[in-house]
Amino acid sequence: MIDIAREVARVRYPVLAISAFAWGALAVGPGMHVPGMHVYCWAMGSGTAPVAASLSMLLALNPPSALAAGWALMLVAMMSPLVISEIHHIRFTSLARRRARSIALFVTGYGGVWMLCGAVLTGTGIAALTLAPGSYIPATVTGLIACVWQASPFKQRCLNKCHDNRCLRVFGLEADLDAFGFGWTRGVWCAGSCSGLMLFPMLLPEGHLMAMAAVAILVYCERLEDPEPPRWKMRGLGKAGRMIAARIRISRRMVRRGFALLTEQ
Amino acid sequence: MPTTFTRNNAWDSGGTLEGNSDLLWYAIGVGKMMQRSAADPKSWWYFGAIHGDGPEWGGITAPPQVPPLPSPDLQGWNQCQHATWYFPPWHRGYLIALENQVREDIVSLGGPSTWDLPYWDYFGQQNPPDQFNIPLAFLEQSFPPATNLPPGVPPNIPGSPNPLLVAPRYGPNGDGVIFIPTQAGINAHPQDPNSDFDFGVVTEECMSDPVYTSSFGGGQTGFEHFDSATGGLENNPHNLVHSYLGGFQGNDQNNEQGLMGDPLMAGLDPVFYLHHANIDRLWAIWNVTLKNSNPNDINWLFGPTTNGQPDFQMPKDGSWWRFTPSDVTDISKLNYTYKDMSAPASVVPAAQAFSARLATLHAAPAAATNGGVTNVQPGNKVELMGATQGSVVVKGAGTRTPVRLDAGVRRKVAASLLGASQAAPPDRVFLRLDNVVGTIGGVLSVYINMPEGGKPAQYQHLRAGSIGLFGLRQASEPAGKHGGKGMSFTLDITKVIDQLHLSQSLDLDTLSVSLVSSRAIPGSAPITVGRISIYRQGH
Repeated sequence: MIDIAREVARVRYPVLAISAFAWGALAVGPGMHVPGMHVYCWAMGSGTAPVAASLSMLLALNPPSALAAGWALMLVAMMSPLVISEIHHIRFTSLARRRARSIALFVTGYGGVWMLCGAVLTGTGIAALTLAPGSYIPATVTGLIACVWQASPFKQRCLNKCHDNRCLRVFGLEADLDAFGFGWTRGVWCAGSCSGLMLFPMLLPEGHLMAMAAVAILVYCERLEDPEPPRWKMRGLGKAGRMIAARIRISRRMVRRGFALLTEQ
Repeated sequence: MPTTFTRNNAWDSGGTLEGNSDLLWYAIGVGKMMQRSAADPKSWWYFGAIHGDGPEWGGITAPPQVPPLPSPDLQGWNQCQHATWYFPPWHRGYLIALENQVREDIVSLGGPSTWDLPYWDYFGQQNPPDQFNIPLAFLEQSFPPATNLPPGVPPNIPGSPNPLLVAPRYGPNGDGVIFIPTQAGINAHPQDPNSDFDFGVVTEECMSDPVYTSSFGGGQTGFEHFDSATGGLENNPHNLVHSYLGGFQGNDQNNEQGLMGDPLMAGLDPVFYLHHANIDRLWAIWNVTLKNSNPNDINWLFGPTTNGQPDFQMPKDGSWWRFTPSDVTDISKLNYTYKDMSAPASVVPAAQAFSARLATLHAAPAAATNGGVTNVQPGNKVELMGATQGSVVVKGAGTRTPVRLDAGVRRKVAASLLGASQAAPPDRVFLRLDNVVGTIGGVLSVYINMPEGGKPAQYQHLRAGSIGLFGLRQASEPAGKHGGKGMSFTLDITKVIDQLHLSQSLDLDTLSVSLVSSRAIPGSAPITVGRISIYRQGH
């Protein structure tokens, strides 16, 4: 017997711990700030400065290395719970001596896509906030676009692809290429699915961290849904909501029955 | 005190409409249900759609004369649970609801209120010895004349068409001869020993497996989409029986497929429910007679609602019965039982199997002197031994492919087999077939190290098991619930590996795995296996 649930648990909890650590760092470590945070602070206080001067000061306050580090930290916090299934898949289908290497290659591919994506999104954020400092308009427009995308069949196509755990080769260079390629491909579909949502918190003048947390919950919950034919529909929290409601019902039922269900088997 | 119903063997009293009153009244009840519209929850068609429906219904050769389907799907349609640990409880509830409806119709026509759904025990070998054949009632063109029927049968029944007769039921050879290739069935319908094809024998081996989760009952259906593993009971006998019963007209997969071979049509064939009564009986025996336990996990007890999925729901007594696995685990509380609840003779208790294995590996004396055999767990570390480098395409009679092994892991297994004892249980070895996709199902048998060009009939000792690809097409759809991942199967190949070890044949860099089909797979619709992997389980 191969108990897959137990194998998944061996991945799930360490990954969630890493995510929690990253969230903690984002919340309490001002040095490890969220990308754009300085943008907001600066933009809100210097709304009348010339654009070129603003941009220059902005880049001085937010060097690309710091922006990249902040973006990477945000990725770890938000995205690592999304790839529990993928990391389990790689771990379980790789030779034990290659597991760490294959997971590292997957993370490199997946993270590489998101870092490239981050460059574009951060650039977009900087441009928007430079042109409209302290304004909610960029965030509002982005939020609306993200909502339309969220309901579109294209979004579903991306989500379906995010459930496609391909078979990986086991030996040699092919195994490395497959692990990296799996990460890269998954990153592309993942970015296709949630880039708009990721941009939204970056453009908010305030409430940035809370918005990030909300987006993280949304993208995690929507990934719980089964694949389905692409079509226009609102998607997001449905399955998670049903799960929570079911857990509450079950808890009540178990309390009423004195946990008899668990003892009568 | 509610009545306890007893489900009887369909082969009792000759298995005919004339001799077996359970079958006679089943046919009468099914006939009444077939007269209703597809939108009526009391209709035969509605119950068929609860298991699964699709556009295929429009092209089914009569009988049965399938009416047009409403669109979109109605409440409760397309619920069937496959490749999941919910397979046994969902089908138990489904049977209870169908049986309740048939009984209601039987009673309304003057039939017995004690009627219960019979089961088809295709493994049965006593009275008569050839129960691998479909009960004769399912082959009769029409009801017998009134003189040959008991009193109380409605006057319009004698001589009328038999609702149990289904045209698209082609059997394992596609010739309309309906039998199940159990070992007895194969003996009675022998294959050419030089054939490249192979009947994957339908067995009760799953009954020796004492573990439900990821084993006898199926893989845990988690909310993270990590697996869709088919359990032992579901794969063999369930899936194999479906595939063989349905078959293809003329044994040609380009022709019409029998209803039982496709989950979206299977519920239309009246024999479906007798097959599932037998599967349900096996689960009941596994619990009651063999004293094995169902999962004690709330995710199983409370069903897929814990994962945000809809309730199990069935039309019953004019309303909707919503149930969870915890509601149907105990048949005594559901007020029914089976005439035969004896364990199959082939069942080997786990401790006994472990002892026999030690003996095979020449380690038994040490175990015996240590005061009996109790430790049968090899440890819970699961590790990949090797795999194919890429996918495997299966067409024609099948294919043979190398599975490369990692030398280090292979040595671990060999060392564990060499040092096997009660205190140091030897590794177990499993073969996984992942991402099995295709458009047409069937049965594939798996052989380890069968020589190139070898004939399966001559290498039965190298057979690792068989897989039934019931539902393959649906599992392969990219936008389906499986996300296009297809089906996954795990076969315990420990016995074969032990034999290779004893014959000094395990010291290899590769094993060859042959996938042998029961019928020709057209090149235009091949089956693809994403990867064949071999795992060890041990310390």
